Amino acid sequence: MNAVGTRTLLGKEIRRFSKVWLQTVLSPLVTTSLYFLVFGVALGARLDRIDGVPYIEYVIPGLVMLAMISNAFLNSSSSLFQSKVNGTSVDMMVAPLGPSEILFAYVSASVLRGHAVGLMVWLVATLFVGPRVENLLWTLSFSFVVTVIFGAFGVLVATWAQKFDHLAVVPNFVLTPLTFLGGVFYSVDMLPDLWSTVSRFNPVFYMVNGLRFGMLGISDVNPALSLGILLVLALFILWGAKRSIADGARLRL
Amino acid sequence: MSSDEAPPLELQGVVKRYGDFIAVSEVSLRVERGEIFALLGPNGAGKTTLISCITGLTRADAGSIRVFGADVLNDFRQTRRDVGLVPQEVNFDPFFTPRESLMIQMGLMGTEPDRAHVDALLRTFALYDHRDAYTRALSGGMKRRLLVAKALVHRPRLLFLDEPTAGVDVELRQDLWAEVVRLRDEGTTVILTTHYLEEAEELSDRIGVLRSGELIVVEDREALMDRHRAHRVVLQLDRALTALPDGLYPGAEIANRTLTVPFQGTDGLQTILSAVKQQAEIVDLRFEETRLEDVFMSLVSGP
Repeated sequence: MNAVGTRTLLGKEIRRFSKVWLQTVLSPLVTTSLYFLVFGVALGARLDRIDGVPYIEYVIPGLVMLAMISNAFLNSSSSLFQSKVNGTSVDMMVAPLGPSEILFAYVSASVLRGHAVGLMVWLVATLFVGPRVENLLWTLSFSFVVTVIFGAFGVLVATWAQKFDHLAVVPNFVLTPLTFLGGVFYSVDMLPDLWSTVSRFNPVFYMVNGLRFGMLGISDVNPALSLGILLVLALFILWGAKRSIADGARLRL
Repeated sequence: MSSDEAPPLELQGVVKRYGDFIAVSEVSLRVERGEIFALLGPNGAGKTTLISCITGLTRADAGSIRVFGADVLNDFRQTRRDVGLVPQEVNFDPFFTPRESLMIQMGLMGTEPDRAHVDALLRTFALYDHRDAYTRALSGGMKRRLLVAKALVHRPRLLFLDEPTAGVDVELRQDLWAEVVRLRDEGTTVILTTHYLEEAEELSDRIGVLRSGELIVVEDREALMDRHRAHRVVLQLDRALTALPDGLYPGAEIANRTLTVPFQGTDGLQTILSAVKQQAEIVDLRFEETRLEDVFMSLVSGP
């Protein structure tokens, strides 16, 4: 194992997003805070409680999850794709690093950025409703597994992408619909039966409900089932991303 | 064979295909310690592909590649520590300064980053004054020097330079040549590909020529030149010829009133002069030595 190399790659990835923190950390914080102000504060006052929780509080785990998903994905996908474009992926490919080590570094950086942004969104929310975490272990289990999934998914997409357009397809046509339809802003029990059933095929549904259970103690689905499904999904995506890195041709344009 | 005795590079029947296209075909080669080996060939001959197979950028479909006795697939951690690569395309990470880039590359190669070593390297390549500048602000020549420094940061025993001086000015080219010779003198084995034949002629100890993925010649530079040693006679004529006189050697060139003809031996020269005199008067005559370029052209355009 190349411990120094893996640590260096992880450190490089962390420094990369720290150097442009306005764009990578502050900007998502502003966006999510706006969602919170509009949906939670302005509209939430006119909405009923859901599962006994005021809407402004109900929407917090979904918004935190939304921020973590997009930031975990964007960190690995944009960094790896940029290194493909500017040719610096060669520096990593000639190094004595195995595919698992490269994947570990990229996914870990995604996990860290996802948590940094998620934590800040949560802190902003606490200014309005006060801090509330019913079960820290469940909360962290879901935040961890979700950022791993989207960090690895970002690697997978970056290795597949041949141009910037490809990279933009996923957030616009996959992530945004899945997150908005995954129960970020509502309980799927409020939907007609058909759409409620369809929602259960959306992995984001299990992510949002898992975090909601950790933070508020309520969920549309058994949290153990959610975590089980997400762990299987994580293993599947990690396996795919590792294979994609091992096929060195995908790391260069 | 222990790595102390093993050659820096040993290729056996290396093949790389892209679909039906064979980029590298059954290449076998042994490079000795402390030599500068020049890999020549026209565009698309497979030079970069072969280097990519050795350095880990791509994987050969068949054959074995050993670096200091270690297999590049099974012992990739060992072989990649021994190898440095200056890629053909200049690359740089806009997020980092030259000093940071070198520290990062040193760490990636598995060596604990060492500021003093990195600074010494920055001085060697005249980048120290720009150590904290953003890399994108460096001139083209500085970026190229940074690329070489990155390849050397982990002190490789085998260095690949893939077209290192393509598009760089004369001064920088001379600097890089001097650096390559210094590295060789310190014991580093250097393999370079180049389009500049004078580079191979001036620097290399041995030369290999690739044509359509096949290694058609591997020879000491001097032996290669000797074997293909031929003189060229340059004749100034009193009138322009529209066609070459019959019986001239292949490779004759005609340009207005100047006729250049390669020949071997005095008999060959007599034949040429007789053939030319039937069509024109010879006003002036001089001789030229064979250049590597002529040898190269005769090899790559051969049957």
